[in-house]
Amino acid sequence: MSSGDVALDVEGDTERWNVVDAVRETLAQEMRRDDAVRLLGYDVGPIGGVFRATEGLYEEFGGERVIDTPLSENGILGTAVGMAMRGERVVPEIQFMGFLYPAFGQLMYSLAKLHERSGGGIEVPMTVRIPYGGGIKSSEYHSESTETFLVHTPGVRVVCPSTPAQTKGLLAASIRHPDPVMFLEPKRIYRGEREAVPTGEYTLSLDEARVVREGEDVTLLTWGAMLEHAETAADSVDADVEIVDLVSLSPLDVETVLDSVKKTGRCVVLHEARRTLGLGAELSALVNEYALDHLHAPIKRATGYDVHFPGHQTEDAYLPDAERAEHAIRAVMSYEF
Amino acid sequence: MSHWTEVRPSEDFYRVLDADGRPLDDPPDVDEETLRRMYRAFVRSRAFDAKALSLQRRGEISIHAASTGEEAVSVGSAAALEPDDWCFPTYRQTAASIYWDAPLARTFAGLMGAEPETVAEHLDDESNPAVNFSPPYIPLTVNVTNAVGSAMADAFNDRDTVTMSYVGDGSTSEGDFHEALNFAGVFEAPAVTICHNNQWAISVPTHRQTAAETFARKAEAHGVPYDRVDGNDVLAVYEKSREAIERARNGGGPTLLECVTYRMVDHNTADEDSVYRDEEELARWADLDPVDRFETYLREAGVMDDDEMDRVAEAAEADVDEAVEAARSVPRSDPQRMFDNHLHGESWTERHQRAELRREGMGENPFVDFDGEGFK
Repeated sequence: MSSGDVALDVEGDTERWNVVDAVRETLAQEMRRDDAVRLLGYDVGPIGGVFRATEGLYEEFGGERVIDTPLSENGILGTAVGMAMRGERVVPEIQFMGFLYPAFGQLMYSLAKLHERSGGGIEVPMTVRIPYGGGIKSSEYHSESTETFLVHTPGVRVVCPSTPAQTKGLLAASIRHPDPVMFLEPKRIYRGEREAVPTGEYTLSLDEARVVREGEDVTLLTWGAMLEHAETAADSVDADVEIVDLVSLSPLDVETVLDSVKKTGRCVVLHEARRTLGLGAELSALVNEYALDHLHAPIKRATGYDVHFPGHQTEDAYLPDAERAEHAIRAVMSYEF
Repeated sequence: MSHWTEVRPSEDFYRVLDADGRPLDDPPDVDEETLRRMYRAFVRSRAFDAKALSLQRRGEISIHAASTGEEAVSVGSAAALEPDDWCFPTYRQTAASIYWDAPLARTFAGLMGAEPETVAEHLDDESNPAVNFSPPYIPLTVNVTNAVGSAMADAFNDRDTVTMSYVGDGSTSEGDFHEALNFAGVFEAPAVTICHNNQWAISVPTHRQTAAETFARKAEAHGVPYDRVDGNDVLAVYEKSREAIERARNGGGPTLLECVTYRMVDHNTADEDSVYRDEEELARWADLDPVDRFETYLREAGVMDDDEMDRVAEAAEADVDEAVEAARSVPRSDPQRMFDNHLHGESWTERHQRAELRREGMGENPFVDFDGEGFK
């Protein structure tokens, strides 16, 4: 089990960054470190990306390292795979998760598959950056949280940071990793709280969940932008809540999850994705299969609903928040097998 | 209005040899060693396909897509590559890798369903071909987009390597085809895309595939140079491929080459072509057989005689038989292999599922872990 603030173990100077600063500074650091790192996407060039996550990089590294492409997600992923096969460390950006669907062919047929189908002979080292999630009052297809499609795909890692310091360590680790990594950036907290982030190089494990706070009564499993709601909820309920930030959605750090639930005996999953076959379903199944004897109450899932992401007048009602998490925690606390 | 007919295609394409195999103009400038290698690849490819068909009929392989009748496209284009170039084939360009001496035993073993790790482990003493071949792609046209990415990597690194890839006529209807050509055009990628227009995408004929005048012209929309070639004339394919490859190597960017040919056999061993096409059409195309035409040319140019051709055929049969025996010697893949090479490192899930499979294999109940500790 990993400790909470891994980044604080890194010595040296720090700067106060938010998540989008951390993305941009990490990309710059990795591009300076390794000439094979190339960014690929549309609007990533002079304008610096629609979220300004690549701002300044075109000026520093030029148009062959920060490549504005035609508007084609499948073309971006497909050519990125070809470049990765030839030794480049490609970091494509899919502007919004809801724009990923045209690229599913390349995702399933080559990105996720080539390493396996070549018997390990071909490496596809690339990090696909995907801003995801709701809460920014955007338009249709700009608020998706359909990470289950990715988690259900063998051959890719799915990683999701929840703080600026973590973003830096996880993004650097993803770029250096030989596997394809789908790197989900919770865009609602892009410009949220700043924290002290070490300016020196460091990486964080892609395989370990993070116990954000320890508790004895109930385990709250979550990730990404939902973490702040988890913390608010934990402060508001009359229970000692253990919060686990999954960090890696695929593969899952099952041991950390099971150890926590076995200790607390109760479990709530908080995610903004649709409930049916959302990752909460898998987590609930794992706890059912391997920790049932330790449970004092059924597992509850505080999630979005099984609908298309609604218009922005309605999105607050769709999205889980601290209140929905509190209800779920109180419900499982009120039940005793 | 359809511009297409599978029965009698228009002949507005580049051609070196006439329908009988005689040069239409001065003989092309191809050295004798290359001509011999091309012929050898033709014969080996036919022997390979014939053997694969018989293995499929006996149940030793599940499915195979043969190249019969359209080998000139693969052989002519691949022969124009240089060592260290890259090639992204589909399942119908076995002849291209055969030209570059890819080990046949590995191909047979793959068709027999062995996991790639098992094949590599047991047939690892065979050398790789000089041209870099990706594993053959099954999903249509995905390879072309990857190939363009490979070519972009070369361009960005100022390498003079060229990447070639292949599609069928049906594949030009896929989005990936247009995405690939669009990127290739925009980034002036050294990517040569070869279209086998073999008149049929399984049972769907060319006139149902496009309303464009030719498949080659689809490149025009992407600003990519294109050309149209007699795909049953290996020398014509070679000439045009060589031009395209040279231009790409010298920074001149991509090319699409449409090679007009004909699939003389079923789409694959699960297909039944008699349902959708007739004997008359097959007979007309049989007259244009690329091997017959090339043999006539080689004989009349004094490059090879019947004796040498017989020796090539005998050697091909022997090589194919030997490759099948080598493939048969590969032991059945350990079922645990299915877990290999998904992600680097290990995970709880993988460890657990491997253990479950192992227990299942031993006749034990795999579902007896109730605390997550049982299969660690």
